[in-house]
Amino acid sequence: MREMIISELSQAVQDLARGFAHYLPRFIVMLILAFAGWAAAFVVKVILRSILRLIQFDRLSENAGASQLLKKAALPPASEVVSRFVFWLVWLGFILLGVSVLGIFGLQEQIGKFFFFLPRLFVAMFILFVGLLAASFFSRAALLAAVNANVPSPRVLSLSIRSIIIVFVLSIVFEELGIAEQTMLVAFGIAFGALMLGLAIAFGIGGKDLAQQFLEKKFLRAQKEENEDELSPL
Amino acid sequence: MRIVETMSHDAAQATPLLSEMKLAEDTFLTDDFVRQLINVGEVDILVGLPTHNNAKTIGSLVKSIQSGILRWFPRERAVIINADGGSRDGTPELVTGISIDDVRPTSNLNALRTLHSISTRYGNSPTSSAAMRTILSAAELLQAKACVVMSPESSGIEDEWLSRLLRPVRNEGFDLVTPIYRRHKFEGMLLTNLLYPMTRALYGVRIREPYTHDLGFSGRFAGEFLLQNSWENEGDADGSELRFTLAAITGHHRICQVFLGEKEHIERHASDLVPALRQTVAPLFSALEPDFPAWSAVTGSQPVPTTGPDHEVSLDPLRVNRKRLREMFSTGVAELASVFQTILSPSTLTELRGIARMDEGEFRFPAELWVRTVYEFAASYHKSVISRDHIIQSLAPLFRGRALAFLVENRTGSAEDVENNIEAICLEFERLKPYLLEMWKSRE
Amino acid sequence: MPLNQDVLWYKDAIIYQVHVRTFYDSNGDGIGDFQGLEQKLGYLQELGVNAIWLMPFFPSPLRDDGYDIADYNSVHSSYGTLEDFRKLLDSAHSKGIRVIIEMVLNHTSDQHPWFQESRSSSDNPRRDWYVWSDTDNRYQGTRIIFLDTERSNWAWDPISKAYYWHRFFSHQPDLNYDNPAVREQMWKVMSFWLEMGVDAFRLDAVPYLVEREGTNCENLPETHEVLKELRRKLDEQFPGRMLLAEANQWPADLRPYFGDGDEFHMAFHFPLMPRMFMGLKLEDRKPITEILQQTPEIPPTCQWSLFLRNHDELTLEMVTDLERDYMYDSYAEDKTMRLNLGIRRRLAPLLDNDRRRIELMNGMLMSLPGTPIIYYGDEIGMGDNINLGDRNGVRTPMQWSGGWNGGFSAAEPDRLYAPLIQNPVYGYPAVNVLAQLGTGHSLLHWMRRIIAVRRSTAVFGRGSIEFIHPANHRILAYVRRLGNEAVLVVNNLSGAAQAVELDLRRYKGNIPIEMFGRNIFPRVGEQPYLLTLGPYQFYWFRLRRI
Repeated sequence: MREMIISELSQAVQDLARGFAHYLPRFIVMLILAFAGWAAAFVVKVILRSILRLIQFDRLSENAGASQLLKKAALPPASEVVSRFVFWLVWLGFILLGVSVLGIFGLQEQIGKFFFFLPRLFVAMFILFVGLLAASFFSRAALLAAVNANVPSPRVLSLSIRSIIIVFVLSIVFEELGIAEQTMLVAFGIAFGALMLGLAIAFGIGGKDLAQQFLEKKFLRAQKEENEDELSPL
Repeated sequence: MRIVETMSHDAAQATPLLSEMKLAEDTFLTDDFVRQLINVGEVDILVGLPTHNNAKTIGSLVKSIQSGILRWFPRERAVIINADGGSRDGTPELVTGISIDDVRPTSNLNALRTLHSISTRYGNSPTSSAAMRTILSAAELLQAKACVVMSPESSGIEDEWLSRLLRPVRNEGFDLVTPIYRRHKFEGMLLTNLLYPMTRALYGVRIREPYTHDLGFSGRFAGEFLLQNSWENEGDADGSELRFTLAAITGHHRICQVFLGEKEHIERHASDLVPALRQTVAPLFSALEPDFPAWSAVTGSQPVPTTGPDHEVSLDPLRVNRKRLREMFSTGVAELASVFQTILSPSTLTELRGIARMDEGEFRFPAELWVRTVYEFAASYHKSVISRDHIIQSLAPLFRGRALAFLVENRTGSAEDVENNIEAICLEFERLKPYLLEMWKSRE
Repeated sequence: MPLNQDVLWYKDAIIYQVHVRTFYDSNGDGIGDFQGLEQKLGYLQELGVNAIWLMPFFPSPLRDDGYDIADYNSVHSSYGTLEDFRKLLDSAHSKGIRVIIEMVLNHTSDQHPWFQESRSSSDNPRRDWYVWSDTDNRYQGTRIIFLDTERSNWAWDPISKAYYWHRFFSHQPDLNYDNPAVREQMWKVMSFWLEMGVDAFRLDAVPYLVEREGTNCENLPETHEVLKELRRKLDEQFPGRMLLAEANQWPADLRPYFGDGDEFHMAFHFPLMPRMFMGLKLEDRKPITEILQQTPEIPPTCQWSLFLRNHDELTLEMVTDLERDYMYDSYAEDKTMRLNLGIRRRLAPLLDNDRRRIELMNGMLMSLPGTPIIYYGDEIGMGDNINLGDRNGVRTPMQWSGGWNGGFSAAEPDRLYAPLIQNPVYGYPAVNVLAQLGTGHSLLHWMRRIIAVRRSTAVFGRGSIEFIHPANHRILAYVRRLGNEAVLVVNNLSGAAQAVELDLRRYKGNIPIEMFGRNIFPRVGEQPYLLTLGPYQFYWFRLRRI
C-alpha cells in the first residue's frame, strides 16, 4: 500500500515536474515578452508624446473642447492622456501575446478577438475626436453668425447645434465599436427625431414672425426696418 | 544634330498657329486674353477695371476714363483692362465698346492713336485678388509704366481723377498713389477707428485710405508685387488691396496721396460689416506675421506727401439708429463670452462687460480700451487660438460699440474736432504698440 | 527702249523728281545743266524709273527757286539752251523715260515782261492780265500760304500805285484767269512745250487760279472750268499726255480736280504723306488707314501721286492742331527745322538715318495705291542742311562720288550754286552713288530691287486696295487686287518685333509667295494667319492659287 502511494506520488510529482518543465520555458518566454513589451511601450509613448506636441495636439483638443472635459475630470492634458493610453495598450498587447504563447486553450480565441477589436477602437476614438472638434467649430460659427445677424437667443441655437452633432458622432462611435448597435441606433433615432420635432414646433409657432420677416426680406426686398441713414463701415 | 533634324521635321508637319497652341497647364491668364495682350503691345498707361455686374455705373465711368486719356494723355499709349468676375448683365461689352480704332470710325473724337479696351473673365464669381492678379499680370506683360485701378462703383468720378492718380507716377516717380475722399464725418468708421490708426501705428506711415479700390501705381511696383505675393492662398482671396498698400510700405516704395473728391456709394449697408471686416481686418492681421520684422522695428509714424487737403469732411446731419448699435454691442458681449475668453485678456473682458452694462446716456468706449481690444485680437489671430475667421466675426459687435461711442462723442463736433479725435485714436494706437509686441511674443 | 504707248502710262510710272540745277554740272560753272542731266540718264534708267519730273527751268530771277517765271518759252541760261533741252527730251525718250515739266499757271515773276507792261499804266492792254485793286480789302479772309514771310495777299506796287494780288511771295503776282486772253496765252505756252515732246505738266498751285469775293478763293468752280478747258484741248491735240495737279487740299476737296475724268489725270495725295510719318512715330496705323478710308473714289483713268518728300517742306497743313504739335515734337524738335507749317528736312534725317525705316517708308510708297515719286538723292539717303535758308536745305547738289565736289561739278567749290553736304554722316564722302554702286547691300541697290519688283506687276499701279484690320494696331496690312492677281502687303510700323494674326479667309487656299525672295509661305486656311515681323519689316506676298 505504502509503495503504491509513494509510486503514485512520485508519478504525480514527476507529472507535475514534467508539466512544469513543459510550461516553464513558455512562462519564461511570456515574462520576457512582457518585459520587452514594457520597454517597447515606453519607447512608443515617448515618441508619440513628441509627435503630438509637434502637431500641437493640445491646441486641437482645446479647440475640440476635450481639454475642458479632461480638466473637469482632473485628468492630465490630452497628449499625455493619449500617450499613456497607447503605452498601456501596447504593453497589454505584448502581455497578451505572451499569454497566447502559453497555449492555454480558449484563451487564444479571446486574445485573437481582442486584437481584431483594436483597429475599430482606434477608428472610433478618431471619429470621436474629430466629431468633438466639428461640434465645437460649427456651434461657434452658428453663435457668431446669430449674434452678428441680431438673431434672438443665439446661445440656444449654438448649443442645440453642438448637441445634435455630438449625439450624431456618439452614435457613429458606438456603432463602430459594435456596442449595443441596435439600441444606440434606435436611441439616436428617437433623440434626433424628438429634437427636430421640438425645433420645428418652436420655429413654427414661436418663430413664425421671424420666418415671415425672413421671407419678406428674401422675396419682396422690403425697405429697411428702421427709417434711418445706414452708415457704411468703409 | 539630331535635335535640329527633329525640329525641322516637325515644322514641316505641324501648323503651329497661335490660335491652336495651348499654353502651359497651370497658367492663370486665358489664351484669348494673352492673344489680346499681344495685339495691344507695350503701353505707357494701363487702366484696370475689376467688375462684376456693374452695368448701371460702368458706362459713364469708362466714358470718363476715355475722355480723361484723350484730354490729359493724348500722346501716350494707353489700354483699358477689364477683369470681370462673371457678369451676366453685359458689363464687359460696355467696357470694350469704347475702344478707339480704325475699324469703327469715331469721327467726333480727336484721337491720335488707337485705344484698346479689352476684357477678360477670370472666373465665375468676383474675387478681388484674382482681379488684381489679372490686372497686374497685364501691366507686367505690357510693360506699363503707370497704372491705375478704378472701382466700377465710382459713379461720380471726373476725368480729372485719372490724371491726379497717374501724374505722380508718370512725372514724379511715385510707386503708389492712394486717394483721399470727401466723406461724411461718420462714414467709414472702420477706416478711421481701426484701419487707418493701426496701419499708421504699426507700419509707421500715415495713409488715410490703406484699403481702397481707386489707386495709382507704377509698373515697376506692380511687377514686384506680382512676384512676391503668394496668390494661391485660399484665405487671402479678398485681401489684395490692403496687401498691396502694405507691400508698398514694407518695400520702402515712394507713396503719396491725392485728393479726389466725393465718393459715391452704391447700396452699402451697415450690415455689410462682417464682409468688410473679412476684406480689411483679416488681411491686415494676416499680414502682420510675414511683415513682423518690418513693423516691429518701427516707432512713431511719418506723413506721406499729399496733394490737396489731407482730409475733408462733410457735416450733414444724419439719423442713425443708436439703439440698435447699443443692443448689438451688449448682446455680443454677453452671448460671445465663451469666445472672448479665448481671445481677450481677463482684464479687458471685464472692462468690456462693464461698458456693456452702462446706460445709453453714459456710454463711453475709451480709445485706450478699444486699442487694447484690437491688439489682443491681433495677437490671438496670430496664435490662431480658434479659427481665424471666427476671431474676425467676433470683432463685429465690439466694433459696433466703438462706432456708437464715436458717434456720441462727435455728434455735435466740427470737422476740426472730428479730425482731432481721429488723431487721438491714432496716437493711442501708437502709444500702445509695445503692448501688442509683448503679447505677440508672450504666448509663444 | 521705246516709250510704252499706253494712254494710261502714268499708272505704271515711277517718277523721279529732280531739279536740273542740282543734278550734274557738265560745263564746270557750278550749276547743273541739261547736258549734265542727259549724261546721267543711264543712271536713272538703271535705277528703274521711267519718268522724270523736272523742277522749273525757265528764265527767272530765282527768288522762289524758279517758280517765279520771267519767260515761259525759253530756258534759263544757266542750264543750257532750248536745243540742249530738246536733246535731253529725245535722249530720255530713247531710254524709255518720259519727261514731266513744271507749268506755273497761277502767277509769274514780277520780272516777267507781261507784268512789267501790266504795271506800267492802267491803260496798258496787259493791265487786266493781273489782279489789280485800289484797296487791300478785297477777298478778305483768304489764308496766307507763306506765313513766315508774307503778311498779306495784297502787295502795293509803287509804280502803278495800286495793289496787286499774290497768293505766294509778293514778287509773284497772280495772273487773272477771268481774262480770256490770259487763258489763251497759257494754252499757247503749254502747246509750245507739248509740241517739243514734253509728256506731261505738273501744274503748280492750281487751286488759286480764280478769286471771288466772299469765298476763300480756293477750289472755286470757275477755276475748275479753266482747267477743264485746258484738258479738253490737251486731249484733242496731244492725246497720251498727262496733267498732274499740285493742290494741297483735303481729299474731299481734291476730288473735284479729277472731274469726271475730264480734268486732271493725276493729283498729289498731300494728306497721306504726313500721316505716314505720324503712323511711324506713333507706331499705330490709325492715321494712315483713316485718311485712306476717307479718300474718295476717283475716275478709273485717274491716279493719285504719292511721295515721301519733295523740294518743299513736309507740309503739316492738312492735319489737326493736336497732330501738328505731335509731328513738330517728334520730327522737328529744333525749331529752326520748322517752316510755314511744315518741316524742312530730307527723308533720311527725318528717319534718323535708320535704314530699316527708310526701307519701310519706301515700301509703303511703292505699295499703296498711286504712282510713287522719288525725290532725287533719297535713293542714296542724302542728308540736308538746315542752315541754308528757306527750303534750300533739301536742294543741295547730287552726290555722285567722294571726290571733288562730290562728283557734281568740276568747278571751284565756292562757285557751286549751293554748298555740298559735308558732315560725317551724310556728307558726300560717306553718301554717294559710286560708293553705293560698289556695295552690294547699299540703299541704292535696294531701291533698284524694290523698283524692279514693283514694276514686275501692274497690281500696284492699277489695282484696288482692301484693308485688313488686325487687332494689332501696329501692323498696316492690305491686299492689292487687279483682275486675278492679288498681292498681300503687311507692314510693321513699330520698332519692335511683332506677331500678328490676319483674317485672310477671303483668300483661303492661296499660297503666299514672298515677292523679294520668291519663297513660299504656309497656305492660307480657315484659321487666322500668323505672321511675325522684325522691327520695321514689311512683306509683299503674291497670293497664288495653285
